[in-house]
Amino acid sequence: MISTRHRAVIEFVLDHLVWFILIAVVALFSFTVPSYFQIGIFANIVEQSTFVATLAIGLSLLIIAGYMDLSVESVMALAAMVIGILFAKSGVGLGLTLTPAWLIVPVSLAIALAVGAVVGASNAFFVVRLKMNAFIVTLAAYIWGRGLVVALSGGRSAQELPAELRFLAIERFLSVPLIAWVSIAATLAFAFILNKTPFGRHLLLVGGNATAAYRAGIRVDRLTATTFVLAGAIAGLAGWLLAIRTSGATANLGVGMLFQTFAAVVIGGVSLKGGVGSLTGVYAGVLLLASIQTAINLMGMPAHFTQLIQGGMVLVAVLLDTVKIAIRKKLA
Amino acid sequence: MNKLIATLAGAAALAAATFLTPAFAQEKGTIYYLVPTLLDEFQTGSVSAIEKFMGDVGYKTVTLNADNKTDVQQGQMNDVIALKPSAIVLAAVDFNALKPQIEAARAAGIPVMEFDRQITSTPSDLTSVAGTVEIGHVAAGEIERLLKEKNGSVKGKVLQVLGDPGDPYTLDIQKGFEEKMKAFPDVTIISKPAMQWEASNAGSIVSDQLLANPDIDLVFVHAAHLAVAAVASMEAAGKKPGDVLLVSSNGAPVGLDLIRKGWEQVEVEQPLFAQAAALAMFADKVVNKQEIKPGKYEVLGLDGEVTIETWGPNIKLPGAAITKGNVDDPKFWGNMKTPESKVTPVP
Repeated sequence: MISTRHRAVIEFVLDHLVWFILIAVVALFSFTVPSYFQIGIFANIVEQSTFVATLAIGLSLLIIAGYMDLSVESVMALAAMVIGILFAKSGVGLGLTLTPAWLIVPVSLAIALAVGAVVGASNAFFVVRLKMNAFIVTLAAYIWGRGLVVALSGGRSAQELPAELRFLAIERFLSVPLIAWVSIAATLAFAFILNKTPFGRHLLLVGGNATAAYRAGIRVDRLTATTFVLAGAIAGLAGWLLAIRTSGATANLGVGMLFQTFAAVVIGGVSLKGGVGSLTGVYAGVLLLASIQTAINLMGMPAHFTQLIQGGMVLVAVLLDTVKIAIRKKLA
Repeated sequence: MNKLIATLAGAAALAAATFLTPAFAQEKGTIYYLVPTLLDEFQTGSVSAIEKFMGDVGYKTVTLNADNKTDVQQGQMNDVIALKPSAIVLAAVDFNALKPQIEAARAAGIPVMEFDRQITSTPSDLTSVAGTVEIGHVAAGEIERLLKEKNGSVKGKVLQVLGDPGDPYTLDIQKGFEEKMKAFPDVTIISKPAMQWEASNAGSIVSDQLLANPDIDLVFVHAAHLAVAAVASMEAAGKKPGDVLLVSSNGAPVGLDLIRKGWEQVEVEQPLFAQAAALAMFADKVVNKQEIKPGKYEVLGLDGEVTIETWGPNIKLPGAAITKGNVDDPKFWGNMKTPESKVTPVP
């Protein structure tokens, strides 16, 4: 018989397992990888997590709601390219200026969010209204989204965003660039929404059992459509941040981030069956992947090992999830 | 599912390219250009250059994009063979995987020309390359000069940011660069690949390495779009133009902009225009299956050399070093001024 206190400890460890793994991995690298243990490197890890972490918010929300969104990477690239074309001064950038100059921050952010929201709304229309399969609809958006990036840019890049935007990537608070703080703030805000608001609770219910949620009076279609639009807008936010960091956009910007995002979401404990997951766990999953990537950047290890390790970690995460469920059943 | 969609998209593109072909196609026939991707500026530039120069010598060019997928390009080759064009220009996604399709095309009487990416495992009718290993050599020469100017002798620390480690293009540049730099034991080279040629990956590598090795003298990136992300990381690390030297390759417009702004010192150009023009100059000979004689040929003012290799006639064109002194020269493709003069066929 397990005491209540022991049960609480075990539950806490299970709920935050990915954070414990992250701490262990960072400690291991700090002892074994030269130059790893320093504030600058930890700040880099947080900075490099910015884009995947932001993408992972929207993807997690949709997976928790029981859907799939493969379009987020292309939506991010599309938003980045639109910002690049409108505001960058070199390449295909039009170099638009606003008066006063700081207006570029809210205006470009609004444009990026709108680009993402439009693609999200299109996905929602096909999935919710036309009852098409979300996997196929968002796969199509993944393909046409990247195609639109190439078509808009003609394969060229847009470079040199104005200093009024670039300061977000250059200026730091507690050694971490402001763009990373934007991502952290978004993660915390949506974690709060998911855990503490009716919208979040309904999302978990719908993902767990959509029929039961419908019978309980939840407007499932509206909730699903809203989540698709949110996921699109959040991907637009990721694109805005990525454009600021790279001072523009290239046609292949963000290629490969979809798979990193999926890996982080799974490692972070979001169940692909829906109804289960926490955004803080997902953020820990992103940090874990970035920590490994940074260690590889600093070691002499060939980059091919990154994908090998990431793939292995996803498998381990799924295995751990199975073990967690088994332990919880025993505790019950 | 990905394959099915890619095949359908390829078939649709092919059908559109075929059925929308204007009736007034150039008199000598149609040449298909199989471009590996349109996600980088060199490849995008190659499309307009090849279409322009082939038009000069009387051929219509239809371009098909493989989106960096070997299987898609293999399917495109199979489809194009069925259309019996005058010739195929191939810039292979994978240097070896296209061998069966090249052999099938040539067996069907369709000549195959290789653009930019040299395939040595099977013969083709003409190969036009800059010599990626040689680009590495040119970069090494420039880096030798820059380190000497900065440190008094050829010594220091160089961060080399490769492209995707699965791409032979970047591996060849690395090979050329490192074999020349072996002569300088006081130069430490740290090599890291930017997976999938993605800019933010390159930016992350530069950020990490500037912290782990604050004494880095020079960053050498294998493509100009990676240089942009490298500069963004340097700027975020508080560096000013010239604090860390920067050398890049391929000569894309963004690289030239960085030279003008002082962030980059040298861009090693791949002579895109000359590479494309060389194919057009010999197109008649290739299509009519006439002999291409070895020797020196002037291509858009550059000295090209044709040699007969085991894989067929091969024209190699020298890469040029672009610096602040010559950055505005219109002959560099990065200045986006396609030469107006017409290419004429080699008699």
